[in-house]
Amino acid sequence: MDKNRTYYPPKLADRFLEFYCLPELLEQIQGDAYEIFYMDLEEKGLAYARWRYIFHVFSFFKWRNISLSKFINQKSNQGAMVRSYFKIGWRNILKQKGTTFISVFGLSCAVGCCIVAYLFIANIWFKGLNQPYKDEIYQLVYTAEEADGPITYGTVAEPIAELIPENLNQVKNQTQVLLEFPLLIHNNESFYQRSLFVDPSYMEMFEYRMDFGYPGALEETDQVILTKQLSEKLFGDKHPIGQELALVVNGEERLYKVGGVMADLKDMVMFTFDLLVNVESHPGIKPDIPLKDAWSRELWTFIQVEEEADMARIESEMASFTLMQNQINPDKPYVKMSLIAYPDIIYNVGKIQRGVRDFLGIGPQILLGTIGLFILLLAVFNYINLSVLMASKRLKEIGVRKVIGSKREQLIFQFLSENLLICFFAIFLGCLMAGFIFLPGFNEIASKNLQIDLFRDKNIWIFLGGMLLAITLISGLYPATYLSSFKPISILKGNQKIGSKSVFTSVLLAFQFTLAIISMVAGIAFVQTNYINSQRDWGYSSADKIIVNVPESKDYFPLKNKLSALSTVMEISGSQDYVGNWIRDKEVFLRDEKYEVDFLTAEANYPEMMDLELREGRMFNSDLITDTQESILVNQTFLDRLGLDFPYEGEVTIDSADYHVVGVVDDFHTTFFSNGIEPMVIRASPDTTFNFLTLKMNPGSAEGSMEAVKKIWHETVPRGLFEGKLQTEVFEREIADVNGITKLILFSATLSVVLALLGLFGLVSLNMAAHIKDYCIRKVFGANVGDLSKKLLKRYVIIWGVAAVIGTVVSSFLISSFLDSFFAFHSGVGIVPIGFSLLILFGLIFGTVASQTWKVIKANPAVILKSE
Amino acid sequence: MKGYHLGELEELVLLIVGILNQEAYGVSVVEEIKGQTGRKVNISAIHTVLNRLEEKGLLTSAMGGATEERGGRRKRLFSLSASGRAAINEVKEVRNRLYDQLPPLALDFSHG
Repeated sequence: MDKNRTYYPPKLADRFLEFYCLPELLEQIQGDAYEIFYMDLEEKGLAYARWRYIFHVFSFFKWRNISLSKFINQKSNQGAMVRSYFKIGWRNILKQKGTTFISVFGLSCAVGCCIVAYLFIANIWFKGLNQPYKDEIYQLVYTAEEADGPITYGTVAEPIAELIPENLNQVKNQTQVLLEFPLLIHNNESFYQRSLFVDPSYMEMFEYRMDFGYPGALEETDQVILTKQLSEKLFGDKHPIGQELALVVNGEERLYKVGGVMADLKDMVMFTFDLLVNVESHPGIKPDIPLKDAWSRELWTFIQVEEEADMARIESEMASFTLMQNQINPDKPYVKMSLIAYPDIIYNVGKIQRGVRDFLGIGPQILLGTIGLFILLLAVFNYINLSVLMASKRLKEIGVRKVIGSKREQLIFQFLSENLLICFFAIFLGCLMAGFIFLPGFNEIASKNLQIDLFRDKNIWIFLGGMLLAITLISGLYPATYLSSFKPISILKGNQKIGSKSVFTSVLLAFQFTLAIISMVAGIAFVQTNYINSQRDWGYSSADKIIVNVPESKDYFPLKNKLSALSTVMEISGSQDYVGNWIRDKEVFLRDEKYEVDFLTAEANYPEMMDLELREGRMFNSDLITDTQESILVNQTFLDRLGLDFPYEGEVTIDSADYHVVGVVDDFHTTFFSNGIEPMVIRASPDTTFNFLTLKMNPGSAEGSMEAVKKIWHETVPRGLFEGKLQTEVFEREIADVNGITKLILFSATLSVVLALLGLFGLVSLNMAAHIKDYCIRKVFGANVGDLSKKLLKRYVIIWGVAAVIGTVVSSFLISSFLDSFFAFHSGVGIVPIGFSLLILFGLIFGTVASQTWKVIKANPAVILKSE
Repeated sequence: MKGYHLGELEELVLLIVGILNQEAYGVSVVEEIKGQTGRKVNISAIHTVLNRLEEKGLLTSAMGGATEERGGRRKRLFSLSASGRAAINEVKEVRNRLYDQLPPLALDFSHG
């Protein structure tokens, strides 16, 4: 027993026992363990005793001994309680069908909108990240010193790919990727298609599901793999495998067979393409070209490294490529080469030139996100307001529960569980709404292919789960804490006032009205802008003109001659670019200062034929030789921006030749109204070949002659893609885009107004139900329709007024900058959108309240006051 | 009658507690079982059984008897309750009744 003083059981184990053991059991268990420890100590020695002690500590680590078990037991005791919470919640939902409908409808609309917004944003950020080897794939990039500092390029010299196997270790696979737009010819029809020229190993590094054929089809250089869309476009219902098609790259035509067709890509891939072609069949990739030429041609190159490869080492091994490049191509040296992980490509957009992805489209993301958030806020506020008000019917329940001994947390839990039920329904319905109504509509507007893929996309589950939690807490926490804070005594005595008159409700309502006003202003301003722009003078006459493309310069004169022979053609003129499309930029020098201007080269008769309005001076004269050599026309913006006055006697230097300004034309819109008018120089070029021909037709004959023009065109250019269009249609795509956005905004405006009104309706009708006797008594004492409506309407009109002020201020800032981001020419947020939205909202508020007032007016006071 | 459904170890522990008479606690039960039957039982198993028997009402317990080797901690002393004794009796009766019905070994050829 002497040893007792000197030896103790292992401390850590002892502490662990104290940590987990139930306090009631601790004494006996620890006592027994100690007793055994000392017994073992006597018999078998210290080490054994200690070991046994530890063993015992663990063997006591049983469910019934653990103090947590008590905690859980107590809670699981409440398992029945939780069930009862949900049961009561369910009954409440059933009892209040109207308000539940308003809440669930609003929330599910909001969830639907949020899902669409989420999918849109996720589609941009998570695109292509479902690849199984995404963490092993790297893109080769290089940095070069440019005039504006170092710039990183996403493409590398083509021969590097051949050097990779020898120089880089731990690389499993590699592929080159070259994007081209070759002419695809099938059955005498031709299209320009996005084609990726890749190594066969591309299909091993990236996984695609195939509808037909097999991923290895690219091993054969004469086979291509098509996307489902292209296969359906070319072959329809026919079996695509083995079908033939031709591609024209760099003027060389090659025949290919279809070796495979991919399953629908659903817009979820990093590379967008219509078909995959083996890179060896690319006519530009020839082994026998000079070394320097080969090194100066660049394309995307990807490698797949082995698992747990040492990336720093591979990057250092790439230094040999840099060396080689700088020897062969000393005038374009690489500073260094590096690797970018495949999942990081998206974060490098904008930092890398000529990368795989070069456009993020932040604007639409913000727009959609904002719409989703607006609608969500509206719906959540509705729900908060309604649930506070609905609880006024349950005040007694709260009181009784509290008296019986409910804790506040339990009441909060009760309310939150009801919330959870509602939100769950809302999410479920929201998914359905998004899947069947919102997404198809949105896809059509945005020409996207978004889908809810619950089976393969685990992010959507995280998103939905997060939504459920967030909405439940945001919408439920305030009502739950507020309602559970009441004192039972005041509830049961009937003193507790609640709900409809509270400041909080008014604030939320004002906020909802403000949101509704802002979204309405946006919608109306957009419609107004569209209307004004559709009436806007383009600055020239677009009527009776046809533009056709000239694919190759050798076709120019035959085409021009044959087309001018057409009886309906009055005049014909060639131009480098055409009015209604982007005009290339050029640097001009004036008094030794550099300016960037639009530079349109055309035949001398082009400005006159386009009916540009001459402001000062004269148009070109085709007979004057000097006009095609040293004369230019400029637009008004050119004068304004450069601070000149006409006549300007000085000279404008372009490409080190001097020109005189002979005339000034009025500003005209060569690009859509999203872009401002840039200073422009028009130069008449001597008779050379141009990219486009513009035909001026007999009045009214343009549309009818299109077929004849197309026929002549195809006769002259047997293999080419006819891209003729009417001058009136040059902005068609932009107009369609803007109309799509207008639809989207109008839809969200409508939705937000509907939601705000539903909330108002719920508030007013609940308020009315609670105070119907009050109003009936007023009626008995002689209140007429006017008095009653005034009484009911007053509060909402005040809220409307507050919202009107805030909404006007906010929307004039917010929506103006919003319009600015879309249009260079717009109507602005004037009196029309704001006035209209305020009036519409007021009218709707009035209507909603009036419908409830009508109830009181129709009510028979005798019946209502008699009932108890 | 419902009967007491005792497990094998439960029955053993119940008997031992009865034998130890006022001196039964975790370690002494383990020791006694070892002494009487030669069977080594883990202390934690005994604790589980003791607690369970107490929950069933077959044992009662009281705290008492702090000793130095327990680090000054008290023992939980168990003793048989009335129903515990009844349970032992009933189990024994059932055993005996069944045993008595065993046919005599090897002498009865009628059930070949």
